[in-house]
Amino acid sequence: MARYGMALDYKNCINCKACESACKEQNGILLGADYHRIWVGVREIEGIFPNLSIGSSSFEPSQCQQCDNAPCQEVCPTNATYYDGNGVVRVNPDQCILCTYCMQACPYDARYVDDRTTTVDKCNFCSDTRLIQGETTTACQATCPTKVRIFGDLDDPDSEISKVLRDREYRKLKEHLGTRPKLFYLT
Amino acid sequence: MNVSKILPYKKQTLKSFFTFEFTALNILMFWLTIGLVTTMLWGIGAYLVQGHHAYGVTRQHAWGLLIAMYVFFVVSSTGLCIMSSLGHVFNIKSFQIIGKRAIIGAIITILTGFAVIAFEIGHPVRMVIYNVLTPGLTSAIWWMGTLYGMYLFFIILEFLFLNNDNHKYSKIFGLAGLVVGLAAHSNLGAVFGFLVARPIANGVFFPLYFILSAMVTGSYLLFLIYGWRYKMDFPPEVEKFMVTLAQVLGLLLAILMFFEIWRALTAIYGDMPERGDIARHMITSKRFLIGEVLLGMLIPFAIIVVSKGRAIKAMVYASITGMVGIFWMRYDLVDDTQLAPMLPLKIREYLPAPGLTEYTPTSVEWMISIGAIGLAFVMYYAADKFFDLDHKTTI
Repeated sequence: MARYGMALDYKNCINCKACESACKEQNGILLGADYHRIWVGVREIEGIFPNLSIGSSSFEPSQCQQCDNAPCQEVCPTNATYYDGNGVVRVNPDQCILCTYCMQACPYDARYVDDRTTTVDKCNFCSDTRLIQGETTTACQATCPTKVRIFGDLDDPDSEISKVLRDREYRKLKEHLGTRPKLFYLT
Repeated sequence: MNVSKILPYKKQTLKSFFTFEFTALNILMFWLTIGLVTTMLWGIGAYLVQGHHAYGVTRQHAWGLLIAMYVFFVVSSTGLCIMSSLGHVFNIKSFQIIGKRAIIGAIITILTGFAVIAFEIGHPVRMVIYNVLTPGLTSAIWWMGTLYGMYLFFIILEFLFLNNDNHKYSKIFGLAGLVVGLAAHSNLGAVFGFLVARPIANGVFFPLYFILSAMVTGSYLLFLIYGWRYKMDFPPEVEKFMVTLAQVLGLLLAILMFFEIWRALTAIYGDMPERGDIARHMITSKRFLIGEVLLGMLIPFAIIVVSKGRAIKAMVYASITGMVGIFWMRYDLVDDTQLAPMLPLKIREYLPAPGLTEYTPTSVEWMISIGAIGLAFVMYYAADKFFDLDHKTTI
């Protein structure tokens, strides 16, 4: 069993949205802007012309933070949301009652209603589409042209993600909420 | 098995069931009820065809008017249960006359609440199954739902024994209903209060506030129920009860206003992100100022203070504004909790970054929510026909 996480060298992101497309293609996510497991957030240039702060502009690829202490899992009344053996937060659509309490509880807006199953869906690191077939990458990682994403086992000291987290500084999103996210934004 | 032995009821023919005195008010109420129920059925029809797409809810604002209306009805139920327990559990004499009518009101409002939530929860049948098979014990929704189920069971038994004049058991189940009802209702507050991601809702306020506002709601409903029952021509013992009720309500409203003032001040102070800005938006909105404050609190409070609680007829009318105010309290509770977007960055080209999330209920949501009031009217009419809800004048 592993403990999967993802490091994002987000300053390399060029907002090409190939990751969003790959995710939809790989996981059969419905078309339409509201149906997405992953996305690229855009922080726009600040200031008024000509005094523009070009450094303020950045792209922040994001998705479910695969929290070790996930608020969405805690609030689920039927345990439809669960941690799998690899520490990935997943949803069992057969148990989901669509109360959408998890969507209220998630601090990252990582969940949405999937009209394929009429239940709540989220990123599961391609567990049921790629990892189960022996692949070691997620669709978004495999497609990224600028190698923003590094996916791997946090418990394996020789994995690429473990090495990069030893060498580089990083931050996590909304860490003060006690969610213990497993997405690391390399700075 | 003879049902009438367990639950004495008045036998009705179809004709007698639909017969009522032809006064202008009754006829108005008849058409209002028909209109509301039809509206609800129409809304349900649209929901069954389109599912959640018939609602204005979005990814960022996933709870809408139906959740607010569910809260509205279950708050009413808990409120009626608490207020009725003052009489037959805590033996406050002037409240002893309301037992049956208040408890049937509590049963009706919670059933209406369940009817509304059934069209918001995507899979209500699955909910019943997995609530038992795989209970999420850390979930406030699980506790709220389960405890409300128990609460309904207890208050039905309480009504049964009240109807049989078995005051020993009605008191036992009344107490059980009260305790479980308080637990369920504070858990409903915790559904919002436990949201660590949403600073405007997170904290101890909602579980406490829900109990307090339930008592206020229960009082307004008792004014309306008794105002309707006696058509403003109150017998002395009812008048005495209503004056006491008005005085209790005055105190409750004063505490509620005290709660609200400190909530607002604490939320604004320090201007914490996602709390200070939301609170400022909240307390300057018309919904809050006109709906919650003026209609929900100030008008009834002013009447009670000026008349020292004796203007009970005016209070019956003020309870209508009070209930409108309570509705907006529930709406704001749900809406304000979700106002701050969890993802503040823009994710689509050519669109601005989200400021506050936006939500407007669709006509289908209004139809189901407001129409559900008609469902409560129908159940109350039927209960009034089948059961003797009046107190015994000897009490």
